Amino acid sequence: MTVTEPHTARPAPRFVRADGPDKVTGSGRYTADLSLTGVLAAKFRYADVSHARITRLDVSAALAMPGVMSVLTAADVPDVRFGPFVQDRTLFATDVVRYEGEIIAAVAATTAEIAQRAVDAIVVEFEPLPVVTDLEASLAPGAPLVHDGWAGYGAAEVVVRDRNDASFSSITKGDAAAAMATADVVVSSRYVADGCHAAPIEPRAVLAQWEGDKVTIWTSTQVPFDARAGVCETLELPANRVRIIVPHLGGGFGGKCGFHYEAHIAALARAAKRPVRLVFSRREEFLAPDRRREGMIIDITTGMRSDGTIVARTGWIAIDNGAYTADAGFFSQLAAMHLAGPYRVPNVSIEAHLVYTNHQPSGSVRAPTAPQACWALESHTDELAKAVGLDPVAFRKLNAVDTGAEGPSGQTYDEIGLQQCIDAATANAGYGQELPDDEAIGVAIGWWPSFSVPSGAYVKIDGDGSGQIITGAQECGTGAVMTLRQLAADELGMAPEDFQLVYQDTSVAPYDMGATGSQTLFNNGRAVVNAAGQVAEQLRKLAADHLEASPDDIVLADGHASVAGTPAATVSIAELAGIAAGGELLIGHGSGQPPGPPPLVGSTCVGDLGMAAFVAPQFSCHAVRVKLDRDTGVARVLAVSTAHDSGTIINELGALGQVEGGVLMGIGQALTEGTTYDDQGKQRNAAMLEYKLQTCADAPPINTHFVQIATPDAGPRGAKGLAEAPNVATAAAISNALAAIIGRPVRRLPMTAERVWETLNEEAAR
Amino acid sequence: MSLLIATTLDDALAALAAGARPIAGGTDLVVGARHGKAPLPASLVAIDRIESLRTIDRSADGGLVIGAGVSHHTIETDATIGAEWSALADASALVGSPATRHVGTLGGNVMNGSPAMDTGAPLVVFGAEAELASAAGSRRVDMATLWVGPGRTSAAADELCVAIHLPARALRSGSAYLRLEYRRAMEIAVVGAAAAVTLTADGAVGSVRVALTAIAATIVEVTGLTGGSVADVAAAAQAAAADQATPISDLRASDRYRRHCIGVMARRAVEAAARRAAGETIAIPVNRAVGIGMAAGATS
Repeated sequence: MTVTEPHTARPAPRFVRADGPDKVTGSGRYTADLSLTGVLAAKFRYADVSHARITRLDVSAALAMPGVMSVLTAADVPDVRFGPFVQDRTLFATDVVRYEGEIIAAVAATTAEIAQRAVDAIVVEFEPLPVVTDLEASLAPGAPLVHDGWAGYGAAEVVVRDRNDASFSSITKGDAAAAMATADVVVSSRYVADGCHAAPIEPRAVLAQWEGDKVTIWTSTQVPFDARAGVCETLELPANRVRIIVPHLGGGFGGKCGFHYEAHIAALARAAKRPVRLVFSRREEFLAPDRRREGMIIDITTGMRSDGTIVARTGWIAIDNGAYTADAGFFSQLAAMHLAGPYRVPNVSIEAHLVYTNHQPSGSVRAPTAPQACWALESHTDELAKAVGLDPVAFRKLNAVDTGAEGPSGQTYDEIGLQQCIDAATANAGYGQELPDDEAIGVAIGWWPSFSVPSGAYVKIDGDGSGQIITGAQECGTGAVMTLRQLAADELGMAPEDFQLVYQDTSVAPYDMGATGSQTLFNNGRAVVNAAGQVAEQLRKLAADHLEASPDDIVLADGHASVAGTPAATVSIAELAGIAAGGELLIGHGSGQPPGPPPLVGSTCVGDLGMAAFVAPQFSCHAVRVKLDRDTGVARVLAVSTAHDSGTIINELGALGQVEGGVLMGIGQALTEGTTYDDQGKQRNAAMLEYKLQTCADAPPINTHFVQIATPDAGPRGAKGLAEAPNVATAAAISNALAAIIGRPVRRLPMTAERVWETLNEEAAR
Repeated sequence: MSLLIATTLDDALAALAAGARPIAGGTDLVVGARHGKAPLPASLVAIDRIESLRTIDRSADGGLVIGAGVSHHTIETDATIGAEWSALADASALVGSPATRHVGTLGGNVMNGSPAMDTGAPLVVFGAEAELASAAGSRRVDMATLWVGPGRTSAAADELCVAIHLPARALRSGSAYLRLEYRRAMEIAVVGAAAAVTLTADGAVGSVRVALTAIAATIVEVTGLTGGSVADVAAAAQAAAADQATPISDLRASDRYRRHCIGVMARRAVEAAARRAAGETIAIPVNRAVGIGMAAGATS
């Protein structure tokens, strides 16, 4: 284990990200801005029904239309079933469609209008199948199967499956039943969360062009290497014949993780022998992707001693998987961890099911499973505090984990800052002060793992002394890639502005997992530091020769290499780069060993997908002040105070932006954002007017404090992740504020004005 | 598709007579076409550059004539409208976003005929009339005659709404428009209510009109309200609004919740209108100054 002391002596620099001016002035190019000579427009034929058997599919009329250059169905691509956890998906529907956004056929034509007319001319006839939408009914014995052939699908070995349960997971520690029987106070709660959307500002786009047997695909993905792997798997191509390039990405929030439409468009382009471009409408962005935040039913029971000490916790979770498993295989275990929570719970028994339905598939949206499970757990926690007569903050201080404590899955934490987060967020919020009528401050805590995975980068310095970082990392708006310049600059004694970033191109840079799992800075930062370190070593050797000193005595700072203690003996890095250009070039490559998982003691996990042990765990506390209009149930967030332990903060400006964006997303999830379905499992509010994101006019003042402590097994300089953690606890804190005003929690998420009003009326009727 | 950019009213009316449809800000027409509500008409005449549609004039009787091409932004910031026909300013200030309010027009909002339009209820409580012009001449109709159903008006296809006529404001009168909203921009009324109140010399309500948004197929006026103390009239408006509403259940709200909330909005509208009638200044839009709106920005 390595422990990195934070650089608290030096204030974190605040720098404007390199891609900022492009994006703000409009000069930046996104995928939909690109064109190629002869480019065709692509359109998809969707199922538009939630569950049916295809009895007739006839594309002949579409093919015959002037201007139509290719039409593809399942018959035109390799017969490959794919999926990272369960191989339950095909590029095109084969015999059965399982959600409304499933693709049956794809068309490429000279204009988008012709392509749409061709799509409309495709004849599809269906035999209806029973539509499964209810999570508990789907798990019941004898329920109609979403996948008749589930048992025959390939799957990752650790995934535990049974009929409509695509991934079962449990966390068991101690003897929860026995401990519960001895508890002084037991509280049980049920909470139900609707699904919701990532809703990036840029609907996705893909442009593909073949040259010989190689294809280049420009696409709005968060995970270029994952997209490449998907194309290679489904079109049966080797990796070195597929190049994925991502222009500026207009947001993702997890919605653009995974492999989506790159293979469809590449296949269309190959068939048409011309470049093909797909640009989604906003409606398609809502309906089609296998990435939306999963709905959940959550039952939780906690037993306490009369002094409020937790002795046991049991839980049951049903997660809406939708029609295909996509990357949701690990959701059951992650949801179970978030329902256990960052508490000292000696006896735990939590079971979670990932349930097939005929809804749009779920997938990783910013901190998958966490906002909903945290909302349930933390609302329940305020119920616990009330039941034993403790203040909710005091209750959390008593039971929350701390350095050296054992968490619910049997992990003993090294240096962590959760208790400090609780203190800072509540103090900054003015928790405990007298408030006007119908106002309250709600508090919630959350956690999130850092993801330790392989990653690579190159650093080079050219003959004029300017540097380039060539990285596999993907920027999806978090600013993490932008931070890499700071890390390289510090290793080499140069300025961040001395480096240009070359990124988002799978044929140029080494592998990186992409903008997912808050992992970019944690892993690619390590790679860049290692790569820059190699160049630094080269520079020290060159400088040592030049200055007639030992390499060990060379210090790189302020753009110069100098001999320690002899400031006059100095040479500019630019001059050394010029020397290197005539000899051994300045090139570094880095990857580094990702830290391994911490040990778990005393717990058993069925369906263990590696989520029960948190590497370099991040912690947070949000305290939210809410005002309620009792007459209408409309709630308004007045102010938010957050504290985050995400390790060392490398760029404070970027870090604050991450927290503020996460909080605003959390307010939306809490109050206004939720997918509503009709009785056939089709989305009713797949449009920006009816799916209510928060706007700038709704944003409250947000105060953020970073708890920076020495962090074991962290990323570069002690940094942990930060992209997802701010999205975990906001909805929960709002829930607790509302419950404090109303007298009982609102048990449905989002806690819309009407649901709040209904809860108020129930309370009035009691 | 053809697009004629008219610079005079006569040109525009001639184009309408030839079958063109008018476009001003396009905030309903274009958005509707994009969402598949109705395709863009094959022939359009742009009326946004006709100067005579963009004026605000006092009429001889002390009323106001607002050109149909006047933008919501102009209405929300016009001192006269804000002081004397406050409910209309309240309504225009809530429409869409700053961008929508700069291009969206009063005439467009009125003629789009949505039961959720924000400016409709204020115009009803003012007793406003729409002036409809065609190549054959012009006529004035009251709002109740104009709106015949969701998205439908009694105007003929070749008629253009050129102006809205507001009668003079009575002494000791005030008005207000409020709506239930789930967010503070890019929002549409879940329900809304406008009230115009005239006080007697001793501060009681002498006369009151209340109209309701998004609880029926068109904007409707509450009937049966009479004078009395402000508290009594506000309570009566709440009860009558909830009683007379015929709301539907949809994505935005259930009929039950709408029925409850329309009463709340009607009560608050009467209360705010009475305060303004008594000489109190409440900032535009009043939505931000009562109920949950009072919380705006306040953190202590």
